[in-house]
Amino acid sequence: MTHLTEEEMIEQVYGEREKTVAVERHLAACPLCAAAFAELQRDLAEVDRIQAPLRDDLYGARVWAAIADSLPVYKPRPRSLWAAFWSNPWLKGLSYAAITALLVATAFYAGRLSEQQKMQPPVVHINPKPTQPKQPIVVVVLDDHLDRSERFLVQLKHADLDSADQALPMRDEARSLLTANRICRQKADKTSDPELTTALDHLDRLLANAANAPGGLNAQSIAKLQDEMNADGVLFEVRVVRSRIAHHNATGTNPEKGGIL
Amino acid sequence: MDRNDHAAIQAVLAGDKDAYGALVVRHSQTLFRVAFRITGNEADAEDAVQEAFLRGYRKLEGFESRANFGTWIYRIAVHCALDKVRRRHIAETLRVSDSNDPEQDQVQVADEAAGPDRLLLSGEIRAMQMAALQSLTATERTAFVLRHMEDRSTAEIGAALGIDPNAAKQAVFRAVQKMRRRLAPLRVAT
Repeated sequence: MTHLTEEEMIEQVYGEREKTVAVERHLAACPLCAAAFAELQRDLAEVDRIQAPLRDDLYGARVWAAIADSLPVYKPRPRSLWAAFWSNPWLKGLSYAAITALLVATAFYAGRLSEQQKMQPPVVHINPKPTQPKQPIVVVVLDDHLDRSERFLVQLKHADLDSADQALPMRDEARSLLTANRICRQKADKTSDPELTTALDHLDRLLANAANAPGGLNAQSIAKLQDEMNADGVLFEVRVVRSRIAHHNATGTNPEKGGIL
Repeated sequence: MDRNDHAAIQAVLAGDKDAYGALVVRHSQTLFRVAFRITGNEADAEDAVQEAFLRGYRKLEGFESRANFGTWIYRIAVHCALDKVRRRHIAETLRVSDSNDPEQDQVQVADEAAGPDRLLLSGEIRAMQMAALQSLTATERTAFVLRHMEDRSTAEIGAALGIDPNAAKQAVFRAVQKMRRRLAPLRVAT
């Protein structure tokens, strides 16, 4: 049996040896090593008696008093303006708020721009003062709306059923016209002009179908719209109403039925 | 790292010298204990503590904020105490006897031959143990104190002494062996 060396025993005492179990097993089996190990433990336990004298609670203060005068004062490290800015919690918070506000404003503005480009709704100027004549403004808007509607109907009538390029712009134009048409239709109620209201009603139905065609405009839906347009005679109705308005504008006369025309 | 220590260090580096006082008060007792165990002398231990805090203050700009100030200043104190012991050894070698005992070639300390009766007195026992401790080389003594009394690992001892962990382990071995030889009469007496 190989006995433990003193180094192995010292390692065992301090618990830094990896083969602790093997050493313990050997110590249990070897009385010679066990006695030597016990003696080592006893010797080291004796050394434990060496204790540092205690210092009172003011010891630290005395040490500080002894060395304080000989210590130079550190000069604060020069900080960059940037570091100084970010170390100030108020300025930091303010800058975060400003950045957030800027982002919100930018997002809002971008959203508005995008919406405007997408929809381009007609501008309907309604005079807030009832005492002023509102007819010219409405006539102009209605005339413009009918002009656009006529062009749309012509485009729809001659649309190339195989061309997908036309579908998206036509649908967007239909949506835009639909909004304007409903405003004009509301105003037309007050005029008691059956030709106008009928034309606008037919136009409304056609534009709604064009704007909301399931799956978008395609050859099939365009053909269906063309049939609908021909059946109602929408293009004809629009042309008639439009020519009448143009006539009134040219002569400066007001139709008897009053209203917007 | 202790937040209070960290805050105090930042304050010192920002120009508040007195903030260092808080660190001194907080860590003085620990530093004194290890310094005393290494030097075996209260006056030297107190000198070592002061020297450690002075060195620490001067090196504070290079202190890694992620490190633990207590551990850092502890190592400095170990070095200061070690320096004290080495300087004292140089002075004491001037009065080394002409003994040829190789075990006593490092230092000769006052070691009155004590009879068994006197050794029964605890004060005498303590004095003999202290003498045994002082018979070690500065490195052995420090390694032994850190391992045996301060419960530091071999790696920590190596870091504190600036030596390889294996070298630190060997230093502990040699220290224990020498201590046992020096304290053998005590064992016979008791």
